[in-house]
Amino acid sequence: MSHLNLGQINELKDLMEDAFDDLINTYVQDSDEKIVLLQSAIENQDKNKIAEISHSLKGSSANICAEFLSGLFKQVEDQARADNLTNIEQSFALAQDEFQQVRSELNKLNR
Amino acid sequence: MDAGSSLKILIADDNKSDRMILSAIVKKMGHEVCEAGDGLEAIAQFKQALPDIILLDVIMPNMDGQAAALEIKSLAGEDMIPIIFLTSLQDAHDLAKCLDSGGDDFLTKPYNKIILQAKINAFSRMRKMHHTLQRQRDLIRENNEYMVHEQEVAKAVYDNVTHAGCLHLPNLKYLLSPFSVFNGDVLLAARKPSGSMHILLGDFTGHGLPAAIGAMPLAEIFYGMTAKGFAMEDILREINIKLKNILPIGYFCCVCMVNLSFRKQELEVWMGGLPDFYLYRYDDKSIDKVVSTHLPLGVLSSQAFDGNTQKYSFRRNDKLYMWSDGIVESRNDHGDLFGEERLQNIFDNNEDDALLFDEIVKTVNEFTGERGKDDDTTLLEVRMVEEAEVGEVSIDLSSGMVSGPMDWNMCYTLRGDTLKTFNPMPLMLSILSDVPYLKGLSGQLYTLMAELFSNAFEHGVLSLNSSLKQDAKGFSEYYSQREAAIKELKEGTVSFEFDHKPIPGGGRLMIMVSDSGNGFDYKRRQDKNFVNQGYSGRGIPLILSICDNLEYVGNGNQVRVDLSWTAD
Repeated sequence: MSHLNLGQINELKDLMEDAFDDLINTYVQDSDEKIVLLQSAIENQDKNKIAEISHSLKGSSANICAEFLSGLFKQVEDQARADNLTNIEQSFALAQDEFQQVRSELNKLNR
Repeated sequence: MDAGSSLKILIADDNKSDRMILSAIVKKMGHEVCEAGDGLEAIAQFKQALPDIILLDVIMPNMDGQAAALEIKSLAGEDMIPIIFLTSLQDAHDLAKCLDSGGDDFLTKPYNKIILQAKINAFSRMRKMHHTLQRQRDLIRENNEYMVHEQEVAKAVYDNVTHAGCLHLPNLKYLLSPFSVFNGDVLLAARKPSGSMHILLGDFTGHGLPAAIGAMPLAEIFYGMTAKGFAMEDILREINIKLKNILPIGYFCCVCMVNLSFRKQELEVWMGGLPDFYLYRYDDKSIDKVVSTHLPLGVLSSQAFDGNTQKYSFRRNDKLYMWSDGIVESRNDHGDLFGEERLQNIFDNNEDDALLFDEIVKTVNEFTGERGKDDDTTLLEVRMVEEAEVGEVSIDLSSGMVSGPMDWNMCYTLRGDTLKTFNPMPLMLSILSDVPYLKGLSGQLYTLMAELFSNAFEHGVLSLNSSLKQDAKGFSEYYSQREAAIKELKEGTVSFEFDHKPIPGGGRLMIMVSDSGNGFDYKRRQDKNFVNQGYSGRGIPLILSICDNLEYVGNGNQVRVDLSWTAD
């Protein structure tokens, strides 16, 4: 199973044209930075910060056609908003793994 | 800014990749894009770039979308800046809050370009409509200010022309209650040089400015001619032809004009098209109704116009109540008419006539209640008083001569062939008619002058014997003698002398006619007071009925007639 919605990603490619590579790079770089920030927010049990960052990652991942990844960040966000951090590290770990998969698929597209 | 034309769109999203995608979609539609990474930047960009539409992410660092939307909406003021919130469907519970903070719509992630395009186009149309609306509103406001200013100036002119005249006098009580700025009812009152008072109540078709505009020439004529001492009929005739000429078809003025003579204790009324007026008799508390007998002014041609008036005795403390149809035709909340009966009841139930005026006003107001009126309403009470109570007339010399030429003398002599063939009547009557009051007597003056002239010419110059005219046969004999005598006449004169002097409230005309004949024994006949004997008698009884006195002087070849007039 692909980690990206391939139909949508082709549409996105058509839309972005020359800027597509730039978009992918921006997304990957931006997400890398946010995942680091999210990691430290989780360590600090900062619920607002966790919700804010995972919300952002949820949105940008959806837009880049990574539907499953977007769903995982949503789980993180929901738990932070529900004030229940019991399983948050587990969810975050799943999201991190998925992100790596998405990144490598995007890199393949990018080549 | 057409729905399809290029707009400037602000995209505010903290996520750079999201911004890039949205920006690419919007640019593909042909719009210009400016970007912001958080709420504060969005506000700064809004001030600087003045975008047409804003796409605003809800959750952003520094300042979130809702706070930014509130700020931007307040900065935009009257201008309409559509804000579309960027959100995900899962955050639906936030949507209501977004719209409350001034958002106009929302767009969910992942972005669908067809939906976005439809939304941008819809808001572009709405914004265009809003602009048109604002421009038109501003235009209307501007025009309205201009119009109000114009109306104020026009109202000032109108008020100066249709001023209240002598409505302040203590024998008058009035209520003018216009439906709009301009009053379609006119109420005018002015004193004549003779001391009597002219009052005019007019109700033009409709109300407001179109109705009021005809009031200006009406008032101008009323005040101008009243001050100069013209009679009611002349004034009404003049107003009628003026209104006939200037008012459009279907527009006219219902008028009642009254001449209130304090000396004669008499009321002279001309009424065209108004509801019945009430004449309250102080003695027995009875009511006489004054009824319209004419068509309104501005309807008939001058030829068809009828200036006949009705006269009523009007004793001290008698009162005349005049009103426009706004009184009887006022309506209550249920749409019922006030009507004649309610009006009549006020008079029937009245116990103190001093309160009548206030009772009418109060009853009508209570009847119409909250609903208010829908026509101009005018009410006037005229009370008969001693002339001293309303004071003397201050004659306004600026309005021109009060009664035409008042103080003058003229001699006119006819000789020879001119005496035989020329008819001097039209010329002399035209001169006498310069005195407005005498103009009104021109028919009688003609008879008078014609008698005096034929006496002087036929009995004086031609020495014909009037006793011939005792029967029909003698009459024809008389005229054949007359023809022969004219043929034979070599020389002879008839002279007219006119002398006119002003007297209080009027004038006195003296006419002296002298002829070159031998005169006659007038003394005997003067004693008999010129009793008419058949056809003859020199027409003297006729003349006496018109004049104050008639007197022969010298040997009977001079006759003097005096005629005095007052402007009533």
